[in-house]
Amino acid sequence: MLEATGISKVFGRLRAVDDVSAEVRQGEILGLIGPNGAGKSTFFNCLTGDLAPTTGSVRFLGEDITTRSPEARAELGLARTFQLPQTFTGMTVLENVMIGAFLRTSVTAEARERARRILDIVDMAHLAQTPAKTLGTPGRKRLEIARALATEPKLLLLDEAMAGLNPTEVRAAIDLVRVIHGMGITLVIVEHIMEVINSLADRVIVFHQGREIARGTPREVTGDPTVIEAYLGKRASRAGGRT
Amino acid sequence: MKKLLWPGITAVLLLAYPLVFTTPFQQRLGALVLLYAIAASAWNIVGGYAGQISVGHVVFFGCGAYASLALFTHTGLPPVLGMPLGIAAAVGIAAIIGTPTLRLSGHYFSMATIAVAELARLVTTNTEFLGAAVGLSGPTVPRTWLDLSFISSVPYYYLFLAVLVITLGITWWMERSRIGFYLRAIRDSEKAARSLGARAPRVKLIAYLLSAGLTSVAGSLYALMFQFVDPESGLGILISVKMLIMAALGGAGLLFGPLVGAAILVPLEEISNSLLGGRGAGLTFVLYGAIIVLIARFRPDGILGLFQSARKAPEKHDA
Repeated sequence: MLEATGISKVFGRLRAVDDVSAEVRQGEILGLIGPNGAGKSTFFNCLTGDLAPTTGSVRFLGEDITTRSPEARAELGLARTFQLPQTFTGMTVLENVMIGAFLRTSVTAEARERARRILDIVDMAHLAQTPAKTLGTPGRKRLEIARALATEPKLLLLDEAMAGLNPTEVRAAIDLVRVIHGMGITLVIVEHIMEVINSLADRVIVFHQGREIARGTPREVTGDPTVIEAYLGKRASRAGGRT
Repeated sequence: MKKLLWPGITAVLLLAYPLVFTTPFQQRLGALVLLYAIAASAWNIVGGYAGQISVGHVVFFGCGAYASLALFTHTGLPPVLGMPLGIAAAVGIAAIIGTPTLRLSGHYFSMATIAVAELARLVTTNTEFLGAAVGLSGPTVPRTWLDLSFISSVPYYYLFLAVLVITLGITWWMERSRIGFYLRAIRDSEKAARSLGARAPRVKLIAYLLSAGLTSVAGSLYALMFQFVDPESGLGILISVKMLIMAALGGAGLLFGPLVGAAILVPLEEISNSLLGGRGAGLTFVLYGAIIVLIARFRPDGILGLFQSARKAPEKHDA
């Protein structure tokens, strides 16, 4: 569905992403994990069009989208959320979602209707007329997802959609991701929380210092000594190997 | 029904004003309020709704004023026929300025627009065809009714009111359509708006062209009423600043914000000018500076924003 080939991104003298390739298959949930600064968010932004890769190419549904704008990618069915919620604070919750819905209709009443249906799905219907600026982090993260869903994506990329949530909220968010997956939407999730990856992802790609160091099922990669070393340092990995 | 209450009251007040206030000073004041309300409402489309703070809008105002009076000076045709020419010039110039500058963000866009406005003023000052530093005059004695030259301000008042209604009608339509939603989204987060499919560069440019065309109409109306334009009155930076302050004071990005701002600032300025005479000119700048500081510090969403946020809360539950 989405193929990224040989992606590198260089900022000045820093190689934030170094020759990473990945393929997202129709219907799966792919996890991107790695310690802070590993390059997973940079890689993610190359997929969404917010950053242009220095080298490499991105294909989506058979089309080369490497140089396409974010709005053109949205049109093709690729949606994203932001790690720091980019809430439209001057609008109500419903209006925020309408912005996404306007991608598939130019009629305001129709966009409002579609946005209401999305708010039902994400369980925010009671907040429709609330000014979005009054939402806290959990509400804003959920609203990000609702807006993206309103664009009727085929592939949804979630950038740390659970960061900053408490365990109860994380469980609610996991349930929401399952619902979205059940709608037939393919997902890519960037995540710090291993619990989330373990319970959601079919496959995982592990980043470290801009490179891919492992890939496989969540169970396979969490047992991989290179991965443990990257997360916890050398000594921990040796200690882990002994027990 | 409740929604129509305030627009209804406003409409009645505006229609009745020249009948209640009958001195020439008051009627002229009313016409000026409406004229500036038109210009500030036009500015509001790109400055308020889209959040692209243009400080060079006087260029478009000048297009309208100069097109009307240059047409009259060089061909003898009635100035009002210059209005479409002004709109065409303004939209053309906006397309040329907008395509590169709308990519700039925040202050850089504002600075670029100031530079363009000052450039236009300097070029005009040195262009004989546009009257250079002396300026252009209209038909002081009306030849036919088409010259729209009246001694009383009342005909201008109603003409301006009609144009203001059209301007606000266009704004109102835009506000409820997809482009209006996209503009507000872009103002809050361009990155997010684009990720949701809003073609930000195109949407901003459309708003800019629309705003430029309407501002040009305000310039032509100014020329009709005053029958005179020179580089200072047609292209002076103060006019841009006035549009900005009126919109911001009343409520930028709100339909009636610019009208409220104009209704407060125009009388204030006229009264201070008549009290202080020529010495008042410098004071106007001081006043505007003070207002900018006060808005920025205390009410970034303007006077109407005060009512807006008070009203939002009880609306929470109606579907």
